[in-house]
Formats: sequence, C-alpha cells, structure tokens
Amino acid sequence: MKRLWPRALSLRLALMFALASVLLLGALGLYLYQSLEREIAWRDDKALVGRVERMRALIGDSDSIEALRLRPQLYANMLSNRESLLWVLDGTGQPLIEVNPVHLPVPALAPGAGVQLRSSGGDDPARLAWQHVTHEGQSLTLVAGKLLAERAQMLAAYRLRLWLALGMGALLAFGLGWAVSQRGLRPVRTLAARAAAIDVQHLHLRLQGVEQVHELQQLGQALNEMLARLEDGFGRLSRFSEDLAHEMRTPLNNLMGQTQLALQRNRSTEDYEALLASSQEEYERLARMIDNMLFLARAERPDAVLQREAIDLHALVAQLCDYFEGMAEERGITLVNAAHGTLHADPQLLRRALANLIANALRYGAADSPVHIACTPSAHHAEITVANQGAPIAAEHLPRLFDRFHRCDPARAQPGDSGGLGLAIVRSIMQMHGGSVRVESDASGTRFVLVFPRRA
Amino acid sequence: MRILVVEDEVKAADYLRKGLGESGYMVEVAHNGIDGQFLAQESEFDLVILDVMLPGIDGWQLLQIIRRKSQVPVLFLTARDAVEDRVKGLELGADDYLVKPFSYAELLARVRTLLRRGPPREVEQFQVADLQLDVLRRRVTRGAERIVLTNKEFALLQLLISRSGEVLSRAQIASQVWQMNFDSDTNVVDVAIRRLRAKVDDPFSPKLIHTVRGMGYTLEVPE
Repeated sequence: MKRLWPRALSLRLALMFALASVLLLGALGLYLYQSLEREIAWRDDKALVGRVERMRALIGDSDSIEALRLRPQLYANMLSNRESLLWVLDGTGQPLIEVNPVHLPVPALAPGAGVQLRSSGGDDPARLAWQHVTHEGQSLTLVAGKLLAERAQMLAAYRLRLWLALGMGALLAFGLGWAVSQRGLRPVRTLAARAAAIDVQHLHLRLQGVEQVHELQQLGQALNEMLARLEDGFGRLSRFSEDLAHEMRTPLNNLMGQTQLALQRNRSTEDYEALLASSQEEYERLARMIDNMLFLARAERPDAVLQREAIDLHALVAQLCDYFEGMAEERGITLVNAAHGTLHADPQLLRRALANLIANALRYGAADSPVHIACTPSAHHAEITVANQGAPIAAEHLPRLFDRFHRCDPARAQPGDSGGLGLAIVRSIMQMHGGSVRVESDASGTRFVLVFPRRA
Repeated sequence: MRILVVEDEVKAADYLRKGLGESGYMVEVAHNGIDGQFLAQESEFDLVILDVMLPGIDGWQLLQIIRRKSQVPVLFLTARDAVEDRVKGLELGADDYLVKPFSYAELLARVRTLLRRGPPREVEQFQVADLQLDVLRRRVTRGAERIVLTNKEFALLQLLISRSGEVLSRAQIASQVWQMNFDSDTNVVDVAIRRLRAKVDDPFSPKLIHTVRGMGYTLEVPE
C-alpha cells in the first residue's frame, strides 16, 4: 500500500489535488443529474395526467365508445410516437381501445378517485396515469402511459458525459496541481541544494534564500541553528584533539628522552632506579589522563547511569574538608563548611565535582584566607558554592574555563596538575545531573556555583 | 602457593610471572584460553589470574569452565572497566576485578587478600620496631613516648602499620582512609604522610615510613 503512494512531494500534492477535484466535481455532478432526473419525471407526469384528462373530455363529447374505436385517428394524432401507450378499459378490465406498440399486458390498476400515477417495471418500464370514469352508466378506466426507454437512454448519455467531464476534470486538476506544486516547492529544492553544499570543510556556510517562504524560513532558521551548534562542537572537537595530542606528547617526550639518555652509556644502579621511578610518574600521569578522558567520554553518553540518593550535604562537605585539611593548613587556608540541607544526586560524582573545585580553590586561593563551601537551597534549584579569595580570573578565560585542557596559564608545571580536565569533569558531572556550573570572578575572589535543579 | 596466570599479552605475563615469583609464589603462565583451560583442569592452583580478552576461549568462558568443578579464587584483569563488564565478571563467579593499567603493588595486595582465606583477623595491637599502636585505646607510643595523633592521622598510621611491609599506593590510601575512590590529582596523601612523619618519624630513629618513588608508601623497619 505504501508503494502506491509516490515519494515525490509534488506528485503527492498533485494526486491530492486530483482527489479533491473528483470529490467536488462528483458531488456537483450527482446533484445536477438528480435535479434533471426529477425535473424530467415531473414533466412526464404532467403530460400523462393531461392526456388522461383530455381523453375524458373526448369521451364526454363522443356519442359512444364505439364511435371512438372506429375513429382511431382522432387519438392516434394525439399519440404521435411509439413511446406512448393508451388503454380504455371497460368494467371487466377488457380493453375497448388499445394503443400498445410494445404489446404490454393490460395493467391491473388500483381503484380510486381522480387521476393516479404509477411506474411499472418489467422488460419495458413504463409510467402510467389512469382514472376511473362512468360514461353513460358504464364504468371505464382511462389509462395513458409512456415507455421510459427513451428517458433512460437520454439519462444514460447524460451520465456518460458527466463521467467524462469528471475524469477530464481530475486529469486537469492533477496536471495543474503538479505544475503548481512543482513551482511552489522550488524553494525546497533551493534549500536542499544549499544544504548539499555544506560539508566538513564548509561548516561556516548557512542556508539562505528561502526567507520569503514563511514555513521554510522557520526550517531554515532551525537548520542554521543546528549548523552553528555543529560548527561549534566540531571546532571544539578538533581543538580538543590537538590539545589531547599535545598533552600526551609531553609525558611521552619525557619518557623517550630520559630513557634514550640513560641507554647512551652504562649507568649506576641508582641512576636506573631514578629513571624507572621517574618513568613510573609519567606513566601514572598518562594513566590518569586516560582515566579522566574515559570518564568524560562516558559522561557524555546519554545512557550514563546515575546512582542518585539523598545526600546530607553538610556531612559530605565535612568529609571533603577532612580530606583536604592537611593541604589547606599548609597554605594557611581554612575550609569553612556552611553547606546544609539534603540533595538528591549521585554521591560519588558530587564528591568528585566538589573535590575538584576545592582542590582548585586551594591551589589558586590567596594564602591565609578562608575557602567557603555553602549551599543555598531554593524552591526550584539548589546551589552549592565554593568561594575563595585571591586574584580574579581574567575575563577572557571565563567562557573557556570548563573546556577540556584549557589552562589560564599556558606555561603550566603546577605540582599535582590535573591535566586541565578537572573543571571539564565538573561540568560533565553537572550535565549528567541535568544541572550546570558557573563561575564568577572579581576582585573579591572567585566563586564556582553548582546548580542542581530540584526534582518534583 | 600456586598461581595460574592466563594472559595473552607476553610482556604483561612475563612481569606477572617475575613479580609474583619474587614475592614467593609458584607461577604457571598460559598465553591463551585453551592452554589455560588445560592447565586449570590438570593441576590444582590456589589462585587464578585471568585476562578477559583471550584468543581461543575468552576469560568469561574460561571462568565458567573453571567454576564447574572448582571454587579456586579468580582475579580478573581487564582493560574494560565499564560497570556492566564488572558486574558480568562478578556474577559469573570472579572474586575480584582489576582494571588495566593497574599498579603492581595493588595487584599484589589483592592477591594476598584473596589467598588469605577466611575473614581477616581483627588485630588490636600493632608493633613495628619501637612503634606501638593500640586500636582499642587509640594510643600510639614510640619507645616510652606517647604520640598524640588526630583521628585521620591515626587511621592513616593504622592502615600503614596493619599492612607493614606492603607498598600502598596513594589511591589505596585515599580510598581506605578518606573513602575517596577516585584519583583526585592532588598531593593530599603526600601532605598527610608528611604530617604523620613529623610526629611519628622525625624525632625518632630508625625511620619507619618510607616513600617508594613512583609507587607509594610503606611502613617497615629499614634493612
């Protein structure tokens, strides 16, 4: 069934056009045909009734039926064609006068006063009008009839013409519809041609030239927005691949250089041990980077599983403060736990996100200042803030801060460097929770805010 | 103690054989699933270390074959760390699961745990050299001197002393002492060890807490 329906939109439109025309023309034709049929029948009936009445007048004028029978031309003139029937029946139903070109049997007629009408079926359908009269003490039945063959023929011809007109109309509607939709769909083809020109090398192109068509304008706009997102994502991805290669090259470079140097001549056991230990550190750095990359890749999968449970925020932050206490004390930083309330989230992931933020705050916060971890719940969402004091982050870094491998300081070499993935992981974790992370930085310090939507 | 290692990666199999041999275990190596099946059925082992991706029969199939007749502890090694893979391995009857790349120290610790059989003893008193730790009274003394530790320092020292002689990685320490089960890329553990050393080791001799570069920390009497 589906195969019958054409794939071309213009053809479909033309077919629908034709179908609509057939329905419309058909209904119109049916109405006209029925009106005509009724009109003809009404005229025929009038004529038959007229004939019966004239016959009665004729009989009233004549001396006797016998005289009428002997002068058939009197009524034969009246009956000028082979379509007409005429009977004058006596009281017993025997025909006294009969004009019956197709030799119909004498009809049995119901009694009654006045002129009556009836259709008779059979091989030769006919329409009959009759009246019972009394003439000189004798009861007579006057019957006038008309064979319907001619009328049927005429109507059949008319019907045929109607069908032909209907067919022609449908064909015409189809052709017109096709032409119109071909023309009307031209902007769609333009759009397709424009879209076909866009590939990886030409992601900056946008769809234009369909603005005058309202529906296509919306479509074009939506497609353009999609293209913008694709271009952005693609740009990020290629930048990210470059960054990744660079990040992996650094430890590999260290490994290769150190090893080649060590192999150049015989070294003491201590040298070899130092080399191996140093290599181990580089391997761990690589392994950690791969772990983080894997985490990010998995977090972006739409089916990533969250193990949500109710979390006591104060207890969770207390645990983290406990963990970072030593590090904080070394820098003279106090961790202030002002988080309260409960949150429905994945505790492992939340802990990881907060740990990254606190580690960041400890790394960049000013010495001998506090780091505040607070939670402000509201009806719609919960916000967890990690705020530290210190030099503000330059405005140009803020939008890219959560990108993978983004570093504010290109010359890094921070001890315990997170490889530039820590904040990217925070963002991924928030996205997994349907929330977001934002950063505010000014002279008073830097605040990272985790925004969790409240679930109904 | 006999250990069967089924691992197709030759370098990995070699270093497992070497490392476990140095730790005093008898090690047999099979480089594919068929050989592994043969060895596992022919002789008795105390532990099987099984790679998942194997030529011939894969690790999961081999585990099923082994489980038909033996309850020998099985440790899975795999590069696949998706949760469903872990669950599958454990449901099929593996006893532990280690994701590549793993640190050798951690593998050794897990092997020891699996071979220990039975619940670990609840030890209440530890002593290494003149360092004493009393779990119940939460007291630490070195020689005659009482050392006052914070709760976390106590937990850290208890972990180190209870696994005396073993090298504990930073990740293991973070996980056991602070329940931080992810690599936090910070030097939190180093800082904590430094502070513990300042109290437990610095004023005393011999030094008991040692850094094993590139691996982690260990607490033992120096040779």
